[in-house]
Amino acid sequence: MARILAVDDSPSMRQLVKLALSSGGHEVDVATDGVEALLFAEKQQFDVVITDVNMPNMDGISLVRELRRRSNYRFVPLLMLTTEATAERKQQGKEAGATGWLVKPFDPDRLLSIVTKVLT
Amino acid sequence: MCAKAADLRCRCATLGVSAEAAALLLAFAMRESEAPAVELGSALQRLDRGLQPAAPGAAREALTRDLAACVRALQFHDRLMQQLAVIRNLLTRLADHPLPQMAGFGAQRWEELLAALRERLAAESHDELFELLVRSGGVGLPGSAREAQAEGSGELF
Repeated sequence: MARILAVDDSPSMRQLVKLALSSGGHEVDVATDGVEALLFAEKQQFDVVITDVNMPNMDGISLVRELRRRSNYRFVPLLMLTTEATAERKQQGKEAGATGWLVKPFDPDRLLSIVTKVLT
Repeated sequence: MCAKAADLRCRCATLGVSAEAAALLLAFAMRESEAPAVELGSALQRLDRGLQPAAPGAAREALTRDLAACVRALQFHDRLMQQLAVIRNLLTRLADHPLPQMAGFGAQRWEELLAALRERLAAESHDELFELLVRSGGVGLPGSAREAQAEGSGELF
């Protein structure tokens, strides 16, 4: 079981990600944007962070960049979960330090298998 | 000449008000639809929790599959909200600056306006949505097929 932080400004998406990952036995915390996610990440250590890209206050790519600056998140899997699928945006995510890029809508089983894969 | 200028100003002002009203209606509709979607998500969470102690078997597997289908389907609400938010923002900007941008209503002006709006759209999907909205028969654009292929995909770097 892993401790996962799911970051999305959409309440329904936060619920769905939490539902999908909780059913796999993971403990899931949720944050509404990059700023809140950073606060949570400073208070506790997460094993995986899954974040949307377009969010108010701080977007997902900036969040990944900020997390990678912290020594305790240098090697933690950081996954982007977004509707955006352009090569340019993916490259931006990769350069920021993201571990992977998942395009919405996600399949719950597939999300779980990806999380399992990045954890091993 | 004066009457023509006054008429143009009137049409510009009307367009600005219409754009603002449309933006407000969109914002209202988005707010209205958020609560039912969240309620649906909560109901799914409760269903999932309720299923945990249930006896395993074919019925349990079928329910799990149904839950997964609900999770996938409900995500389209989020996507719709994102696209509506882009439209709302565009309308708000139109309402903010109706006169300088809308002076003149010839075909060339309209094309200039469309080009200016298109530049403001960051995401590819938003661009395609915009195309669908402003041009009839825009369904089936090559980009739409590309995006449909990308949906649900995953890539580890």
